[in-house]
Amino acid sequence: MSLQSSDNSKIVDIVRVTKIYPPDVMALRDISFTARRGELVFLTGASGAGKTTLLKLLTCLERPTKGLIEIGGNDINKLNSKAVQKLRQRIGVAYQDFRLLPKQTVFQNIAMAMEVRFKSPKEIKQRVDELLEMLSITEKRNTPSGKLSRGEQQRVAIARGAANSPPLILADEPTGNLDDEATEKVMALFKQLNAQGSSIIIATHDTSIYKDTHHRLLHLQHGQITEK
Amino acid sequence: MSIISFIFSQTARNIRHSWSVQLMTTFTVILSVLIFSFFYLIYTNMVEAGSRFGDDLRLIVYLDEAPSAEMKKLYTKKINHFSEVEKITFISPDQAFLRLEKQLGAERGVLKDLNSSFLPYSIDIYPNKELRNLSKIKGFSDYLSSMPGVSKVQYGHSWIERFSYFIKLLRFIVILSGTLLIFTTTFMVSYTIRLTVVARHQELKVLRYLGASNWYIKGPVLVEGFLLGFLGSTLGLAALYVLFQWIKTNFSGPGFMNLFTLSFLPLSHIMLILVVSILLCTSGSMISIRKLLRI
Repeated sequence: MSLQSSDNSKIVDIVRVTKIYPPDVMALRDISFTARRGELVFLTGASGAGKTTLLKLLTCLERPTKGLIEIGGNDINKLNSKAVQKLRQRIGVAYQDFRLLPKQTVFQNIAMAMEVRFKSPKEIKQRVDELLEMLSITEKRNTPSGKLSRGEQQRVAIARGAANSPPLILADEPTGNLDDEATEKVMALFKQLNAQGSSIIIATHDTSIYKDTHHRLLHLQHGQITEK
Repeated sequence: MSIISFIFSQTARNIRHSWSVQLMTTFTVILSVLIFSFFYLIYTNMVEAGSRFGDDLRLIVYLDEAPSAEMKKLYTKKINHFSEVEKITFISPDQAFLRLEKQLGAERGVLKDLNSSFLPYSIDIYPNKELRNLSKIKGFSDYLSSMPGVSKVQYGHSWIERFSYFIKLLRFIVILSGTLLIFTTTFMVSYTIRLTVVARHQELKVLRYLGASNWYIKGPVLVEGFLLGFLGSTLGLAALYVLFQWIKTNFSGPGFMNLFTLSFLPLSHIMLILVVSILLCTSGSMISIRKLLRI
């Protein structure tokens, strides 16, 4: 399972996707969009607009009720569990609720993403330390993540998503708990990863991070998507 | 990091985190293996002793009168007609008297005023191995009793019967303790590992989100089960060996136990117990992880 698309320019292709949660909650209604390789896309919209649902669909945590989702040219509805595992290894996700292990240290939490891809301990150490420095949390390296502030936890979750420099990064409200300085550092990291070739989709309602951007803006409202 | 080194480091971490539960489970496996193999050891020794007694087994056919040469031929023919036997010996009263004297040893004085005339003619029959089970011997004895001129057939009937029932009882105990071993080991190991797995539930969920493969998650748990089985059965068998040596040292010697030459379980049986215990523990851990792989 790779993210090499047959149409090399597309990394995410969503065609007329609808997601209805039982019994009849319409989270996404007939949405379509494409993200190109190396693109940074802001997915904006108020809370409850369907941003998180869309990211869940892209990581196969949810399945669409209708429509086609292709990641790197692979229809996710046709993927078996092994292929889903491979897909998840190649998508870096920074979850809104962080999904960190509170008893494990910051280092261990970030390293986990690289361990599942069997990276060498040396490579893991080097990359994790680099990320910690970029996000200014080096001094928290050996602190259990449960003892960190929400802002620090958010940065750890972002670092874990970026650890493997994956071809696709999904970030759900990555600056929600951060002050201006930390927000700037996180955005600098995303820009660096994007410059290195990663495609990034940032779901956010924080206007400060996209107000002057030249990147694509997609707006989700009541489960429907519009391009700004 | 390779999957092998990951699996072993993760297993070591799991054991460190829940060492007290792991210790209790190992202890349970040790006890289960010890109980089962102890009964099995007794059983194999009894069966061995039984076959040794069987080698000495003979039927004594008492005759009404001295058999003529023709009758001897007829008896031999009739006996072999029922089944091939190892040996047939015709015993005269004089030979029987000498044998009796020999058996009485120092007490032979009680026979001093007697002569051999009170002893009947008899035939000693040493049956073949195929005849040495209780029902066949009984049938053979009945057949011999029906021969002309036979007054009585003796072969330690009640002793053989008791011994045979004892072996049956032992076999039942071995099967029962073996079944209990299977249930306790599988149950205990699967629950212990389930405890450690439940404690790691959040971690396994995160690993799933990060794309960890089934083997990445399953591997350490299976190794844990394997180690529990290996350690538990090895220590259980080691404990049995110590117990065996103690029994041999303290109970071998003149007396009842001297009838038996005690021997430990053969290597092939030891290996079988080890392999079965390891398989049980590994499958126990497999049961506990199966549900979790559906996250």
